[in-house]
Amino acid sequence: MFKKILLGITALSICHAALATPLTMESLGNGIYVHHGVHEDMSEGYHADICNVSFIVGSKGIAVVDTGGSLKTGQALHEAIRQVSNLPILYVINTHVHPDHIFGNAAFTQDKATFVGHEKLADAMERRRDTYIRINQQWLGEAFAGSEIVKPSLLVKSTLNLDLGDRKLLLTAYPTAHTNTDLTVFDSKSSTLWTGDLLFVERTPSIDGDIKGWLAVINELKNNEAEFAIPGHSSSIKDANWKEQLNNEERYLWTLLNDIRASIKKGEVMEKTMGTAATSERSYWQLFDIVNRRNVNNIYPSLEWE
Amino acid sequence: MFKRNLLIGCLSFVAFSNMAHAESDPKKWPLVKEAFFAQRPMADAPFITFVAPRRAESGAQVPLEIAIDQTQADANAIKTLYILVDSNPIPLTATYHLTDKLGKFKLATRIRMEMDSYIRAVGETADGKLFIASVEIRAAGGCGGTVDGDENAIRAAAGKIKMNVESPVKFGNATSATFIIKHPMRTGLQRDLVSQGFVPAFYIQKAAFTYNNEPVMNVDFGVGTSEDPYLRFNFVPSTPGVLSVKAVDNDGKEFNHQTEVKN
Repeated sequence: MFKKILLGITALSICHAALATPLTMESLGNGIYVHHGVHEDMSEGYHADICNVSFIVGSKGIAVVDTGGSLKTGQALHEAIRQVSNLPILYVINTHVHPDHIFGNAAFTQDKATFVGHEKLADAMERRRDTYIRINQQWLGEAFAGSEIVKPSLLVKSTLNLDLGDRKLLLTAYPTAHTNTDLTVFDSKSSTLWTGDLLFVERTPSIDGDIKGWLAVINELKNNEAEFAIPGHSSSIKDANWKEQLNNEERYLWTLLNDIRASIKKGEVMEKTMGTAATSERSYWQLFDIVNRRNVNNIYPSLEWE
Repeated sequence: MFKRNLLIGCLSFVAFSNMAHAESDPKKWPLVKEAFFAQRPMADAPFITFVAPRRAESGAQVPLEIAIDQTQADANAIKTLYILVDSNPIPLTATYHLTDKLGKFKLATRIRMEMDSYIRAVGETADGKLFIASVEIRAAGGCGGTVDGDENAIRAAAGKIKMNVESPVKFGNATSATFIIKHPMRTGLQRDLVSQGFVPAFYIQKAAFTYNNEPVMNVDFGVGTSEDPYLRFNFVPSTPGVLSVKAVDNDGKEFNHQTEVKN
């Protein structure tokens, strides 16, 4: 009896998954599709759909870049893919460990896709597993049901090529910057670079790695040949000048770093600095008051040792 | 029809069982209180106050300031102050042993918080009376944390101390001192991916502050104190002299530092 009920649920949940409302995608042409999440903070009122999730259609199959913040979002992405193509989903790439980018992974396990990430991603997922699951359940409740950590089996130490048939993707892993698991994806066919959260557009850049390391990576990205970039967060791609966006991000990070250093030099305590550092940047960014204070809280203690 | 009902039933059950408390759970304190202060009465302490964020920006480094509006001459002078975080896996965050050299106690520190919680400051008098003040802070994820980086480099850097005393000093008056010590403060709750167990606890256990060789304050740290433990506290230097600290980690390793206090 019990087994029968379980079977019933399984059958129904597959049926349910197939009926997920597909995500709205921005088609960039050339087999590239991007869904833009909304700029919500990750706390109460978060809906697991705040980052850019994308897919790339090649002649042999499809690669997904980031999967959103819940199984539900991942299923909606899956549905959006199936409206465009029935080719196999070969790769699911996570640009870093943050929960808004990885918790849709479980929607792609049935495809037997290969999960790909930075060489430190599997470890980072394991270390953060308990906390991520607990706080996402708290924020999302029922909407988080079925979401789980799905770790990469293919790890990128420096660079790696993935073959989609008529196009190849070049994956590059970076030293600690936004996080310790940052990875970019480059598609030469369309000259497009997926930056993950190494590039924030509109949304205040958040630091969970090393601000100095991030500034070094930004310098490196300035020389990247890609014509287009798909950032980790943005409301649109079309007509965007990504090098200019990169400069904006660099300006914010330098302002933040210099202001905190100046505060420490003057003997201003962290609590005060959280309300003063980088405030000249306030009008340029969304969620500034929340994210900027958090950034100061995260990096001030380590800068005290400079 | 049958299946649909079954699914709804199943989903609502999952939703119910997954529904974590989104706010500090007041039911934890009776258990914590019983574990640390079994059956002892506690009176409210309006003279103990906090400065704390309502919602912490980072669970790993939550700034917390505690003040006691009394001196050691007071009839119910607090000799020992316990700071507990109800919802942390290890609630006792630090214990401060006070002396008259501190004047009116005022201290800022940074603590770890795993989830929304009440913070308790429990003061104990010389004759064992207990007084309590509480503050609620919303926070997430400060205790599991990430353990990354070069182990040898972390061990080599551990124990480096910075100490500052505000200047100019007004002798005989409350003077602010800042102490930070480089240390990972490993909780013992962080996952070890090699052994599939947990990284052993590794933390600063004690710091003893003296001024001209007389005790100022002794601190017993728990792992609820953040990485690179930070203390900013007032003390009252009566004459020029030397503020010294001796810190000890749970391996018994000692770290010393001195700061000259002059005109």
